[in-house]
Amino acid sequence: MRHYETAFLISPKLDEEEMEKLIKKMADVVAKKKGKMIKIDKWAKKKLAYSVEKNNEAHYVFFHYEGEPDIPSELERRFRQTEPILRYLTLRKEIQPVTKKKRKVKKKKVEEIGEEKDEALSDSDELVEEK
Amino acid sequence: MAREQRERSSYRRYFPPKRKYCRFCERNIKEIDYKNVDILRRYVPERGKIAPRRVTGTCSFHQRKLSTAIKRARLLALLPYVED
Repeated sequence: MRHYETAFLISPKLDEEEMEKLIKKMADVVAKKKGKMIKIDKWAKKKLAYSVEKNNEAHYVFFHYEGEPDIPSELERRFRQTEPILRYLTLRKEIQPVTKKKRKVKKKKVEEIGEEKDEALSDSDELVEEK
Repeated sequence: MAREQRERSSYRRYFPPKRKYCRFCERNIKEIDYKNVDILRRYVPERGKIAPRRVTGTCSFHQRKLSTAIKRARLLALLPYVED
């Protein structure tokens, strides 16, 4: 079992009902392939940083799920076939066990930073002011 | 020339340049998420280019993570490829 995260953009031309239908269709793909859906994230209509197929807005949807590698390939095949999906991105998330050695290194780093803490504090203050 | 240099060195002694440090190491962050646009925005100045390490002081490990995160965000139109 692997942990995946798939993000895709839905065109703003679809209304809410159609969008829900589309999301459900895609979620069914995961269920059919015996994957375990962990979370579905939906962002409200969001402005894009640049226009995609002449759209300036889009709905962002994120799937978090577990399963075999044939699930993301099937999902991506469907994304390519459905027109209102503008972009998609699938990542494999790795859950790394924290080893003792790593912790030691990080503790050292914290100590080093601790020495410069005064500077760091003044720095972050400035950042807030800028904002 | 010589005098100018001496002035500068003494100026540096009293006002050393602010030490840069990696803000991700400070907070003990291992993974940088491409969805967190607010953080990524700080590392792409006006033109939308990725700020170099020598400017931001990010360590090489986090700079690598940061650059892939920014590139992923660009693909999903969260960040611009070019901005003017």
